[in-house]
Amino acid sequence: MKETTFKSLKNLSTDHLLASGTAICAGCGGLEAVKIMYDILGKNTVFVNSAGCMTLLSVYPFTPFQGSWLYTAMACAPAGAQGIRDALDVLLNKGRIQPEEDLKVVVLSGDGSSYGMALSATSAAMDRNLDFFYLCYDNEGYGNTGHQSSPATPHAARTATNSGPFGYPGYKKDLFAIWTAHKPAYAATIIGSEPLDLARKVEKAMSLKGPKMFIALAPCPTGWHFDPRETVEIGKLAVKTGIWPLKEYLDGKVIHTKPPRRRIPVEEYLKKQGRFAHLFSPQRDTKQLEEIQARIDEYWAEAI
Amino acid sequence: MTRRLLTGNAAAAWGARLAEVDYVPAFPITPQTEIIETIAHWMDQGEMAGRFTTLESEHSMITAAGSAAATGTRVFTATSSQGLLYGMEMLYTVAGWRAPFVLMNVSRGLSSPITLEPDHNDILAARDSGFLQIHCATCQEVLDSVLLAFRLAEDDSVRLPVIVNQDGFYLSYTREPVEIPDIEEVRKFLPAFDPENTQFRAGEPRSQGVAVLGGAFYSYFRYEMHLACLNTLSVFDSIAQDFADHFGRKYGILETYQMDDAEFCFVMAGSFATKAKNAVDLLRDAGWKIGLVRPRLIRPFPADALCRALTGIHGVAVIDQNLSMGKGGILYTELASALYSSNSNSPLLVSYIGGLGGRDITREEFFKMARETRHAVETGKVPLPRLLYTEDELRQMRKLQTIAHAPWG
Amino acid sequence: MYRIRFHGRGGQGMKTASRILGTAFFLEGFEVQDAQRYGAERRGAPIFAYVRASREPIKERGIIQRPDLVIVADDTLLLIDAPGVLKGMTPQSVLLLNSEEEPKMWKDRLNFSGAVFALPDVQDLKEPTEQLHIGTVCAAAGARFVGVISQKTLKQAIQDELDILGNQIVEENLEQALRVYDLMEAYAGKIKPSSEPAVADYPDPAWIEMPYEDARISAPAIHAAATSLKNPTGLWRTLRPVIDYDRCHRCSSICSTFCPENAISVNENGYPQIDYQHCKGCLLCMEQCPHHAIESSLEHTKTLESDKGDEI
Repeated sequence: MKETTFKSLKNLSTDHLLASGTAICAGCGGLEAVKIMYDILGKNTVFVNSAGCMTLLSVYPFTPFQGSWLYTAMACAPAGAQGIRDALDVLLNKGRIQPEEDLKVVVLSGDGSSYGMALSATSAAMDRNLDFFYLCYDNEGYGNTGHQSSPATPHAARTATNSGPFGYPGYKKDLFAIWTAHKPAYAATIIGSEPLDLARKVEKAMSLKGPKMFIALAPCPTGWHFDPRETVEIGKLAVKTGIWPLKEYLDGKVIHTKPPRRRIPVEEYLKKQGRFAHLFSPQRDTKQLEEIQARIDEYWAEAI
Repeated sequence: MTRRLLTGNAAAAWGARLAEVDYVPAFPITPQTEIIETIAHWMDQGEMAGRFTTLESEHSMITAAGSAAATGTRVFTATSSQGLLYGMEMLYTVAGWRAPFVLMNVSRGLSSPITLEPDHNDILAARDSGFLQIHCATCQEVLDSVLLAFRLAEDDSVRLPVIVNQDGFYLSYTREPVEIPDIEEVRKFLPAFDPENTQFRAGEPRSQGVAVLGGAFYSYFRYEMHLACLNTLSVFDSIAQDFADHFGRKYGILETYQMDDAEFCFVMAGSFATKAKNAVDLLRDAGWKIGLVRPRLIRPFPADALCRALTGIHGVAVIDQNLSMGKGGILYTELASALYSSNSNSPLLVSYIGGLGGRDITREEFFKMARETRHAVETGKVPLPRLLYTEDELRQMRKLQTIAHAPWG
Repeated sequence: MYRIRFHGRGGQGMKTASRILGTAFFLEGFEVQDAQRYGAERRGAPIFAYVRASREPIKERGIIQRPDLVIVADDTLLLIDAPGVLKGMTPQSVLLLNSEEEPKMWKDRLNFSGAVFALPDVQDLKEPTEQLHIGTVCAAAGARFVGVISQKTLKQAIQDELDILGNQIVEENLEQALRVYDLMEAYAGKIKPSSEPAVADYPDPAWIEMPYEDARISAPAIHAAATSLKNPTGLWRTLRPVIDYDRCHRCSSICSTFCPENAISVNENGYPQIDYQHCKGCLLCMEQCPHHAIESSLEHTKTLESDKGDEI
């Protein structure tokens, strides 16, 4: 694989493609990831969006895209991508469009869709070895409806449907593992607060044919209850505490692309977010905090 | 042109083949499966140029159909019953994209209880989606309607997807002689699809299917769909005439049979209407002035054409092969609303529900419906809506219930 | 119009029979409708197909109410589903059977007022090593009975319908079909197109008002266990597994464990017993028995009849 063009932040484009003026919340960590990714993919793309926060990227007559977009529904954005890819292939094969008119097809989907309702459609798209990009912006809840618990919600987080003293009783589903069980061409976890890591991964994926799957942890000021100015800081803490391991899957192997050299305690990440406030006051919930830390420790003990 | 025996399913596949569709997203379901198997076979053999993709559900299949149409290709797909309902969210959604394509529905009763044989509750559940609906009565009409459907769907004044409906078993698995038009003639009737501004291409930024906030804006888009759907009524005849000029078969928005001097008639949709024709023949032999009106288009609803066709008719037996729970027959309801707002001297309507889940409608039942309708006209007393169901059928039901409710062992 | 119905078992080629005869009519210039009645049935289960042919466009649809000719590929069906086979038949209808029994026996036994004929011995129609193509044989017999289908047309129809199966199979089918067509020459034209009765000749349908019944009765729920035992699926069987108890080692489990139908029980002495009322004749038990203590024999009407049990 050729060397990356993204050696430092200076190599990232400053001429950004995604236009401002959308209805997305201020400080959205998901939009940050979409924007950086879009710069690398370029405007010869068609985004196929499922129901979620990003539905509101294009509200008639306003769109932030320099390329194209199709809004589908919550369960079926990968099927929409299939239809477009197939159609473009047919048009190319029949000579009705020229290769330079071709588009990259990109699914844009939240965690509510990706981890749940659209999992079957996503699995099937990978079964068919669909040549597409998939970006899941994972804000760990049904964000667009007011942040109810989703299958991506982390243990103990308070949500609109788990507002009790213990928060969400379940554990965040390992979607990366589910995806890689399909042996896609490429899969990676990313985050907007680590733009170089993100850029290198997208760059690498662009040289591959087949499903190229991305999960971006998307710090969400609205749903996680923190000040929008802290989105990047919280994102960096997610990586430094090891709760969001940055990794990629290629040729059957998983590699951690940015393992924290010295992991800092997960508390530093949790206490910045209102959704975990009940773990710290009125009194410290040592048991839950220890369990969350232990799970992270266990992950890294196995991973390295 | 060749004439050969084809099932309704094979006729549907031929329609797609002659329309030279680019893309066929598919998912198997009885009694439709033979259509997609036939097309897949042709594509494998290189007899059809295009792409066939099996999706993992009808919801995804209709999404892929819509998105491929929105990319600017000619698309055909097919489903039945539970599949149509599983994809229902996307029927409404893709219709709103205003990207034309053709979906063949092979009618089959809906669960629960689940069954295999036909009635029209599946297709009629989609009647408010924005898809046009063409209902077929013969295998020939299935093939021809696919070609007509592409012309209608792609017409500038319409630009909506179309569902062509055929009845499971009674057409899907039944062979009849079907004329297969020559491809050169079809190309003249149905030129290559020009998607105009409904397509995705590099260098042509386009956002489709976008959200809208505000009821007035929303109302605009939705009502435009309604108007486009209604436009079908005015373009249908000229497209059908063009079809007749090329292939010699003339289709109206309605099929009328023996209506010239009729005093009574049956109104019904789908393949069972040919049974009604048979009953009309026999009744005419017995001195009746009776005919049949069969709406070919159900969406848009041909209200004016029906009112004209029923002018001067004394009594109409409306036979619904569907049941709207808590209301009754859908065709009856819609016909009544059309007549109520017309200025003509409306005929008296008698409502019958029959043929649910493929239950046959016998000749003697057509005769009895005719007699009851005449009696209603003579006495001015309209009978309550009736389910066609006999004493013997209930007796058979009782036998099953004895088993279902008795301890066994 | 000619109205012809074929009865057979899943796997015997009744759809093929209706298609060959349908195509033959079509090639002779008739309007045609042919179809198989599909259901949830599987291999071995009773199944039927039908053909309508007329010089005029056909407006009838679905199952044939009053058949002119009913051809039965397997006389055991008359034990399973005699009412279905005879449905709608009138004194003018003709019943043509593949049976070793005399037509007279069946006529009396079924109390059928129309004519009954039998196919010639079908085993004689084929070479000893060949498979019998009973569906094609029935179609050829039907073609002979209507008398309006030439030998040339019949051949063409068989070729058209079976082409996909390859030359050798087509040849076998042709030979068997033409043999029966020749042997039955005397029956040419036995079936004439029938006209439809006038309106006055039909009975009034006995419609009822559907009574309201509460959900405890009217939901599609079965409030009982193992009611499927009421279905005598043993009548699907064309081959019969027979246990040779002299060779049975009473292992007590192999045949009984593998039988998918739960049709082999083990008695108190450890011997397996086949429930012929439900055994579908898959012969999986015969394949699996380590001591070769299970053999198969052709099923006959007589043995089947004793296994029939209570039909619904």
